[in-house]
Amino acid sequence: MYMDLISALPSVLSFDNFFAIVIGVLSGIAVGAMPGLSATMAISVLVPFTFGLDPLVALGLMAGIYNGAMYGGAIPAVLLRIPGTPAAVATSFDGYPMAQSGRGGFALQVAVVSSAIGGIASALALMLLAPPLAKVTLLFGPAEVFWIAVFGLCSIIFLLGESPIKGLISACFGIFVSMVGADPITSEDRFTFGQLELLDGINMVILLVGLYAMPPVIDLLEQPLDTKEAGKALKTESLLRSFPRMFHFWKTWLRSSLIGIWIGILPGAGGSMAAFMSYNEARRASSNPDEWGKGEPEGVAASETANNADTASALIPALTLGIPGTAVAAVMLGGLLVHGLQPGPMLFRDNPDIVFGFMWQFLFGAILLIFLGGSLATNSFAHLLKLPRPVLGAIIIVLMFIGVYSINGRMFDVYLMLGFGLIGYVMDKFKFPLPPVVLGLILGGFAEENLRLTLLIGQGQWSSLFANTTSLVLVAMTIAVVVGPMIKRRVVKARKSES
Amino acid sequence: MFNYKKKAALMSALLFASGAALADYPEKPITLIVGFSAGGGTDVMARNVAPFVEKYLGNDASIVVKNMPGASGQIGITEVAHSDPDGYTLGTYNLPGMMARTLDREAKYSADSFTFLANIVSDPNVIVTSKKTGITSVKELIDAAQKAPGSITVGMSSLGGDDHLGLTKFQSLTDTKFTIIPFKGSSAARTAILGGHVAAGVLNVSEVAAFKDELNVIGVAKATRSEFAPNVKTFKEQGVEFYNGALRGFVAPAGLPADVELKLLEAFSKAASDPEMLAKMKATANPVEASIGLDFKNLNNELYDLAKQAWETTPWK
Repeated sequence: MYMDLISALPSVLSFDNFFAIVIGVLSGIAVGAMPGLSATMAISVLVPFTFGLDPLVALGLMAGIYNGAMYGGAIPAVLLRIPGTPAAVATSFDGYPMAQSGRGGFALQVAVVSSAIGGIASALALMLLAPPLAKVTLLFGPAEVFWIAVFGLCSIIFLLGESPIKGLISACFGIFVSMVGADPITSEDRFTFGQLELLDGINMVILLVGLYAMPPVIDLLEQPLDTKEAGKALKTESLLRSFPRMFHFWKTWLRSSLIGIWIGILPGAGGSMAAFMSYNEARRASSNPDEWGKGEPEGVAASETANNADTASALIPALTLGIPGTAVAAVMLGGLLVHGLQPGPMLFRDNPDIVFGFMWQFLFGAILLIFLGGSLATNSFAHLLKLPRPVLGAIIIVLMFIGVYSINGRMFDVYLMLGFGLIGYVMDKFKFPLPPVVLGLILGGFAEENLRLTLLIGQGQWSSLFANTTSLVLVAMTIAVVVGPMIKRRVVKARKSES
Repeated sequence: MFNYKKKAALMSALLFASGAALADYPEKPITLIVGFSAGGGTDVMARNVAPFVEKYLGNDASIVVKNMPGASGQIGITEVAHSDPDGYTLGTYNLPGMMARTLDREAKYSADSFTFLANIVSDPNVIVTSKKTGITSVKELIDAAQKAPGSITVGMSSLGGDDHLGLTKFQSLTDTKFTIIPFKGSSAARTAILGGHVAAGVLNVSEVAAFKDELNVIGVAKATRSEFAPNVKTFKEQGVEFYNGALRGFVAPAGLPADVELKLLEAFSKAASDPEMLAKMKATANPVEASIGLDFKNLNNELYDLAKQAWETTPWK
């Protein structure tokens, strides 16, 4: 297998194929940076055009876009508090406060370096460990996946914010949104009001754009015209000089890479969950957790490493088993199919040049991110901030419309997005936290579907939820993550009262 | 009498109009509505077949694919049903899905809404079992299911699809009862079978071709063996007359001008046997079994009756 890996390298380095990666990364960054346009969308628009292309050129474009977009999403998340892609929500927690205090340039540099590191780690995992990791995926049946969802929901309790009640209301709203559409088991219509457009459920991007982009845009438009202070918000220095200041993130880079890879190989969860979980873990491990959310660069590093670390790893189950770990991987499978590449164990035997070439492309895409994302893209997007605020707001609104319309090519989704925008604006004003809504939507549906599948398989026996070791381990981890912080607080309190 | 005259006049006017159309059709791009997103199985079929239909239509015909995904193809096919029957809107059509939706959901179309052009792909069902079960033949499966009815879990892509209707048929043919586990899509079902989380599954032959060594493929629901899995016995060879599968083809709105219909049928029929197209379809795991025009319509009605029977005896929602 490692011989195949090496023999696939020369064709990847041919001019056409390498150029495709460069173009892919650049357009990926641009797509990710525009609120409403996501990697999923860009690749699905691309797929029909790749019919006439050489497979490696097409796949190089896709690998580049995927890597680029995962970083690109961080740019507006840091500069405007508008995550460009779902996976960049956690990046805005600390990135935006950093930009507010004039450290936006550094925040973006941390983001690009972390993204590249996550991407490289993920590509290496795909190249070296794909077959054994695919076996791990097989251990996860519906019961285990249900527990993953529960673990995910519990481990991010901190997202509830200062007022847990408001946070829980937000989470419940997200879970409610996840129930719209055809019932996952019986296909019964739920909350669709006879609208065919709602049958597939509410697309994550529609909710995200409405909820996250609308309130800041309205903020932009509400503020009086002032172009002086916006221009100097971004101070950039050479990456060579700022890089040494990032070395102490190495633990976070390592931890977040592993979390990202792990979430990537599990079907369904995807980049946003990877980013949230790794943000939480990094914060727990930090010596000054109180600084988090106020502009801690390590928070940006954690989120960005993880959301890039799930890119290539999401392709492990996709290539070996035909189950995509993320929505983007699902679209990429389509792109492979177009070229007659059937996912499955045979793929590695029948088309090693293309499969291993594709893996190399992921690696190069991640490395190129530093050069292309670091100076070029970041600086050009920084200029955006010099635009008068009403103009910037208007541009973003146009992009939001285009992005949401192009998901399925229908206006219905745009109206839906505007409705969520209104809800988001009201929630923002009344200080309801927004991240729980996103997680409720992702994990709520995930938990419901798998719980019901488990019970169907187990003929209605609740014990089937605890029937094997993997489930039990996950249950124990869930308990630990909920009870752990409570015990810790007790112990700290007890020590304080002793002394 | 007056009415008759009026009708006759109308008919001749129509014939005249369509006579003009014959010479020129197609004189502008034809839109092909695909009810699924780009890169899906139906989309890949559409984009592989379209260039060959263009070729045989002549006249510099051009077919533009328009993806209208949503509601398992229902949004796209509804759009096709309500388009002008002028030959400039065609659509992809899936069976039994499109017909099953008229039973289990409120649908704004029926079999009469379409001109049936050509079915291109026929992907037969296969029944697979997890290696852990040790079940390797149809007989062993039937024996195990009869010994403890409902004890064998069978994964599939969804309720009301070809695999569900197929299993319903298989159950009544063999007097067995299985526990149906509808996953979201066949790859999720396949993975659960690979991992042994469900015992068996109903899939399509194109979906298991790459997993022959990892799963027990116990039978293919086709009259003859499939070229995608030549070593797998048919159900018929094993004593059960079980035939079923997923069909993918092309329709136009009902009421096409007769000569436009003729021209399209001819083009699809030639495209369906073009060796270059057949090679492309094989490479993208699309088993071709073409039926053109009336044959396709009869096939549709046959499958509708089957779905209706299943829906009436064992409604799934």
